[in-house]
Amino acid sequence: MQKAVSEMIAKDPLTSLFLVDIGVWAFRDLLVGYPRRVKNIGIFEPGTISIAAGLSLSGITPIVYGISPFIVQRALEQLKLDFVYQKTGGNFITTGASYDFSTLGYSHYCPEDVMTLKTLPGFEVLTPATPGQFTCLFKACAKNGVPSYFRMTDYCNKNEVHIDFGKAKLMKQGKMGTVAVWAEMLDAVIGACSNLDVSILYFTSAVPFDYEALRSYMDKKLVLCHPFYEGTFSDDIQKLGWNSDICEIAVPKKVLRTYGTKGDKDIELSLTPEAIKNRIQNFLIQP
Amino acid sequence: MNEIDTMKSLRKEMIAISNLGQDGNLQSCFSSLEILWALYHDGMNYTYENRMEKEHDRFVLSKGQSNLALMVVLAKCGYIRHDELKCFCKLNSRISMQADRTKFDGLIECSAGSLGHGFPIAVGMAFAAKMCDFPGHVYTLVGDGEMNEGTMWEAMLFAASENLDNITMIVDDNNSVNKMLGGMNLPEKLSAFGFAVENVNGHNIAELRSALQRKNGKPTAILAKTVRGYGCKTLMEDPSWFHRYPSEDELPRLYKEVDEF
Repeated sequence: MQKAVSEMIAKDPLTSLFLVDIGVWAFRDLLVGYPRRVKNIGIFEPGTISIAAGLSLSGITPIVYGISPFIVQRALEQLKLDFVYQKTGGNFITTGASYDFSTLGYSHYCPEDVMTLKTLPGFEVLTPATPGQFTCLFKACAKNGVPSYFRMTDYCNKNEVHIDFGKAKLMKQGKMGTVAVWAEMLDAVIGACSNLDVSILYFTSAVPFDYEALRSYMDKKLVLCHPFYEGTFSDDIQKLGWNSDICEIAVPKKVLRTYGTKGDKDIELSLTPEAIKNRIQNFLIQP
Repeated sequence: MNEIDTMKSLRKEMIAISNLGQDGNLQSCFSSLEILWALYHDGMNYTYENRMEKEHDRFVLSKGQSNLALMVVLAKCGYIRHDELKCFCKLNSRISMQADRTKFDGLIECSAGSLGHGFPIAVGMAFAAKMCDFPGHVYTLVGDGEMNEGTMWEAMLFAASENLDNITMIVDDNNSVNKMLGGMNLPEKLSAFGFAVENVNGHNIAELRSALQRKNGKPTAILAKTVRGYGCKTLMEDPSWFHRYPSEDELPRLYKEVDEF
């Protein structure tokens, strides 16, 4: 992420980066090299998003880097009114996906980010899970004139998958059913499905949603597997008019109070490869 | 027509339009009228023709409820057709209670409505101008009630930190906040946040022009003392006029009060 952003700042004088007092060490060279355009702005997300909108309405592409819940939820009205309503573009890159910051508690969790941003018409919601995928999506979207959310995780997939913006990638073809998977869940799903006769479709964007990729599997059972709140894609599935059985393996919609490591949480929420395998198998054998 | 008569004429036009559109924030609009007039008449370096150039001054209406006052001023400038004002609040009109910038081809810089947004956006515009070495100044009209919003003070921290001497915030100080919170003392707070503070009579166009043109070497706040509903006795005295429109029967009396003010 840092490399792609740094390259854009270096190449394009009409770009600006605001850090919400996070990533200061990672971007230390940019802060020194481009002091007029790269700022550690401090901790005031709503005001920061509005100021970024002022840049955008002046022809400058803003990039804001902060923590997921404080960008998506604390500054939601600013994203809605200062970018969507003004019809202007900007880039919002976050750290702290879902419960990545597991020891910090509910205040720092954000499994609802994708569901929340899907309520903003025209807002791109991107879920890369490797640095290479971020670079691909960032190059495609950073200057396309619409607001784009880049949900970054600390738990990148080890499987590097080359992707195209807005397109799901077929990872494996099978007959028993289809697993649609998002973000850092891919590694777990690949592990879980190694001996299962299922197709795996890997998505790196929630908006745009690749309806066409799923449409050709509508006669098969579908598993939705993602690290967001359950129900995040209900509207998309309804839009498709899905007529086969569906199972959702995701983060339950409840207040998570248990701390522990990310791995502890995966076990607690039955999101480990073993648990996912069992859940998929049980679903597939149901009549 | 002198400027005092022009203001009376615009107030009567707002009353008529509010009646046609069956909605209105006339108290706020009457409070802001002279400020908006001064901005577009020698207060800013702005013409319709240069509005798309990056060097011109920019204006952001942060207190969106004064939009009708802005629309009648722009129409008087010839930037909007007068007959279009009659479509106020109608379906698919571009003239309504709050402005939508996407309908104005650069004439309106920022869509408004929710308070606490326009000023921080204006700060971003001023910062962008500094970044690009553009000479233009950014003006923004806010309400004293709007100053309760946290984003206003967040953006002020940034404007002062970056010493954005190319932004002027005009506070339409019509005594809204003092009805809600005590101890606001805006001049002291604005000054503490690094702004040069100017105090003016917000209904005196000459005073406003002079303050708008002064540059202070740091971000500026013009505290414009105003009166809700100024220029019409009923609107000044009856709080129900914050959000209502005049009926057909009320029009003659309101016009008369404006004429006699």
